[in-house]
Amino acid sequence: MTVQMIFLAFFGGAAVWFGVVVFRTHSMVRSALALLFSQTAIGAMFLVMQAEFLGVLQIMMMATEMSVMAIFMVMFMMDPGGMGKMDMTHQKRLSLWAGGIGLLAALLLVWLPDWGPVALSVPGAHEQAADLGRELLGRSMFIFQSAGLTILTAMVAATMVAIVPNAEQSK
Amino acid sequence: MTIAGAREGAMYGIRRAVAAAMARDLTAFVLPGPSVARSMGIDLANAHLRVVGTPRHADVLIVVGPIPDGLRDAAAVTYAQMPRPRAILALGAGDIAPLPDADVSAPLTRAGLADLRRVIAAGAFRADSGEFNAPALEVRVEYTCPMHPEIVRDAPGDCPKCGMTLVPRETASDGHGGHGGHDMPREDRPNPADHAHAGHAHDAGGSGAYTCPMHPEVISYAPGKCPKCGMNLAKAEEVESHGHGHGHGHASHAPSAHGDHAGHDDKAGGSGAYSCPMHPEVISDAPGKCPKCGMNLVKAEEVESHGPGHGHGHGGHGGHGKQQDHSGHDGHAGHGGHSKATIDGIEPHFMSMVEMTKDQPRSSDGLQMDWIKVPFGPFFPGLPAGLRLTLTLDGDTVAASDATSLVGATDLMDGPQMRVADFVERLATMMPLSSVSYRALACAAIEVAAGVEPDHDARRGRAAAVERERIASHLNWLAEFGLQSGFLWLAARAGALQLAVQGADVAGIATQAGAIRRLSRRVQAAPLMRMRLRRIARIGNDAPASGPVDRARGGGSDARTGDPTLKDLGFEMRVRNGGDALARLRLRCDEIAQSLDLIAAAGMIAVPQVPDVDRVSGEGEARIETPRGTASLRVKLANGKVVEADLDTPTDVNIALVETVTAQQELGDALSAVASLDLSPWEVRG
Amino acid sequence: MSILVVLLSLAAGAYALAVIERWAVHGHLSLTGPAWAALALMGRESLLARKSDRLFFELGPVLLLVAGLMAVAVIPLAPGLIITDLATGALFLNAALAYVLVALIMAGWGPNGAYAMIAGWRFLGQFIAYAMLIVMPITAVAMRAESLSTVEIVASQAQLWNVLYQPMGFVLFVVAAMGLAWLPPLDLPDATGELAGGVEAEYTGVRLAVLRLARMVIILALAGATVTFYLGGWLGPWLPAWAWSAIKILAVAAAMLSVGRYMPRIREARYLALSWKLGISLALANIFVVGVIALVVPI
Repeated sequence: MTVQMIFLAFFGGAAVWFGVVVFRTHSMVRSALALLFSQTAIGAMFLVMQAEFLGVLQIMMMATEMSVMAIFMVMFMMDPGGMGKMDMTHQKRLSLWAGGIGLLAALLLVWLPDWGPVALSVPGAHEQAADLGRELLGRSMFIFQSAGLTILTAMVAATMVAIVPNAEQSK
Repeated sequence: MTIAGAREGAMYGIRRAVAAAMARDLTAFVLPGPSVARSMGIDLANAHLRVVGTPRHADVLIVVGPIPDGLRDAAAVTYAQMPRPRAILALGAGDIAPLPDADVSAPLTRAGLADLRRVIAAGAFRADSGEFNAPALEVRVEYTCPMHPEIVRDAPGDCPKCGMTLVPRETASDGHGGHGGHDMPREDRPNPADHAHAGHAHDAGGSGAYTCPMHPEVISYAPGKCPKCGMNLAKAEEVESHGHGHGHGHASHAPSAHGDHAGHDDKAGGSGAYSCPMHPEVISDAPGKCPKCGMNLVKAEEVESHGPGHGHGHGGHGGHGKQQDHSGHDGHAGHGGHSKATIDGIEPHFMSMVEMTKDQPRSSDGLQMDWIKVPFGPFFPGLPAGLRLTLTLDGDTVAASDATSLVGATDLMDGPQMRVADFVERLATMMPLSSVSYRALACAAIEVAAGVEPDHDARRGRAAAVERERIASHLNWLAEFGLQSGFLWLAARAGALQLAVQGADVAGIATQAGAIRRLSRRVQAAPLMRMRLRRIARIGNDAPASGPVDRARGGGSDARTGDPTLKDLGFEMRVRNGGDALARLRLRCDEIAQSLDLIAAAGMIAVPQVPDVDRVSGEGEARIETPRGTASLRVKLANGKVVEADLDTPTDVNIALVETVTAQQELGDALSAVASLDLSPWEVRG
Repeated sequence: MSILVVLLSLAAGAYALAVIERWAVHGHLSLTGPAWAALALMGRESLLARKSDRLFFELGPVLLLVAGLMAVAVIPLAPGLIITDLATGALFLNAALAYVLVALIMAGWGPNGAYAMIAGWRFLGQFIAYAMLIVMPITAVAMRAESLSTVEIVASQAQLWNVLYQPMGFVLFVVAAMGLAWLPPLDLPDATGELAGGVEAEYTGVRLAVLRLARMVIILALAGATVTFYLGGWLGPWLPAWAWSAIKILAVAAAMLSVGRYMPRIREARYLALSWKLGISLALANIFVVGVIALVVPI
């Protein structure tokens, strides 16, 4: 139990530290990859908490998502390498407010709801994966299917939006 | 005994083992390139060296033949990029300055390689290894303004236009041939200097602007519909001018003129707050400099209730004038300042990249990205050696290209008059990739000028020699194409066959004919080949072109058509349709097959002999179909000496196509396209 | 104990692969060549590009190696001979190999060179092409085994290897795996004739040695995955289990290494178009067919 707690704290700390690095660096690529490693640390926390499937999934998905994000950050920023000394920040006040409210909401979410009794034993990894599958294809099927459809719609819409300026140009 | 490029360190213990290992496993980078080496008959594949594509991974620099003057700087850069210990093997190179003296100058035989191995094993490390210096390696630091890329100074200081502190940028020292080759362009990474902000006008402001409630970046001066969502535009209630000069212009794609920046303070009325065009949160009561970027603060036109944190300086950068001409500083947006309507919920300084980049040129995929200039060549694997191709890349799409030859434009004559034999020799050595054809051309032109008629056999033998060179040259092209496209079997096989054919007699060629025909069938049938080359480097019928490039578009001309000697041998012009790289590949394979037939029909091969001309005077012109296209030479003889010569080469015509075939292509496709033209930089006369 | 055995066999496999690669690329077969080459790399200067992103430059090859080793951890070489038999092994393999992309982006961005940078981002484009075709065939494999555990996936093939049960999935997986290991003709990130070495272009000396070793480990991991998912893993008559694993993995790796020699490199856009238009349709069909067979004919 204590070893588990130490690891949990370690990965939690790593997640927070990488999260801070995201904002401390001037390089867009470093920023994106710091976010990736922050998410990887969260995946490791899942693993420590014996949620194997979720942990592995988190670690896998974030690697690809953050890399894709990195290329967009590089494409759309001037000085993506952060080599210039120029200050690129803006909308500080809004960001502060948004960050503060977000933090508050997160803390409320942690403390206010009743999370139920602490589970002292966890089902085995095989069983977890099977349970998760049954959940996804049973009670939560509608939610996941509609989420999937929404994402698909968003992807199609995003592609459309990306194509429009090109079509305009060719006129 | 140590090598000139020894690594620092005493030679003992484990270093001995390492040096021995290096000597056993040599990796080589070839200068000017493997294709030139093969044309000179040097068999690198057989030498148990691993030929690599970048000097970073090589420990031996093999210099083949004399280094042309135009390549000396690039050679120095290439050598400097090799990690130490590094050795130089010179093969008939003569003076190789600015490179240090060759460690071994011996032919690439077993004995020569053994020498090289011995030298490396014994001298890879040295206690006091010196630095390698050459003028081409000196880096000069220059200073440029992040906002005004046209401002370049030798010393640090402020920008005369906006007062911003100039930022340093490294460039190569003047007058050298560019960081060619594999000089991984150290300064090509986006850095502020390269990303000079060319200033942008967000001149949407002024009263009476209409804007879309959903798309604040859409600004119109008349009511209407939003082009993005179709919503009715609403009148912007509160129009504020605020200055953020964050253009995202880039030095290399800022074609429009920068607005006139002079005197933008005088117009600004209001209460006299000053702010930085780049950092609107910087506000001061007195003029001065921005503490963040050093730019001159500009006077804000009006002070708004936002207070500090939202300054409204006028950028004063009439950058890319979007809707109006800013040079006159018309009243709309102050003086080309950056004004934008405020919309509820959107911070006034929000930088919309859509807005900033919408007027800049776009590549075919419609994405706006930073442009970087990347040099390819003159020693790039898969591109003709000696060609420097500079591609301006927008992402991985080629936005602009520039092809120059570093080895061409040599004078045909080395003095006011030349002996005929010397002239022929000079022309032949000038063109290492097709020396027989140019030798034949020179002989033919001199014969016409002198009124000498070669006999039947000489003409046949000469024609066959040119055809043999055509086979070798096309095989060389196939080998280079194989190298470039990662088709390594092709590179190895075509290279070996080229070496076998190049000096062979009729019988020797006959024995290789079967293998060559099989190769050309197999190349055309290789998986992915069609996909790789189809519709790449399409050339229409209106662009001037020469040789196989010309004949691969369903027509074209061939200097051989009118030649009676070749007609006797059964020559018929080969043509392919399509005009793309695939058609060129197929046509070259067809021509190889035809040349094999022609040589068999001729039954003899004779390298052109210098005609015996006796103190005659006259003028003559000859045309010949070299492997790359039609070359023509005019010579003037006076008293049996060449006094004037004028040469037209096919590459001179075809090199102009580089821009067309690379425009808006993906990088890999663009390089395939350039390769498909089969340029010989040595032929460039212009 | 099994960790040590797996690591030693990994080292032996990597060496064997290096021999095969030299033979495929440079055309000479030399059993001692890679050893000399590795020793020579140790002695060479390890250059650092100016203005590089030092952290990424140093971390790229290491992360690549770590990703490869993690992937190897879930590949069974014989019954009981596996570093860790995770319940989510097949998914974990994917998770580990996803970091190949991250490592290559770091290695491409780090050295501050245009060729390397283009190569790194190019691999991202390549990833978009192969990613779905790694995951979807594995889904069909897991459907048959009714488990994500690699050991159980091998056990499920006792009656019939998956290469015969779902040949379409096998082909798709091998092609995608070659994309992941950036093997020719899918070697877009280090294309010699286009980018002069690409991500490898700025690495010299020891760092280059690490990069090359990592590449070999990744190829081995993918060959191991192919064998585990489709070729029955350690299953086979007469020979001991470990020998079957070794033979199959080396054969698959050798085939993946040498096939690119006989064709030109594919164009990036074409690869993307093929993967999505053709590959994903086929992968979906494969999942459907496997689902039907699994329900109707229990093998």
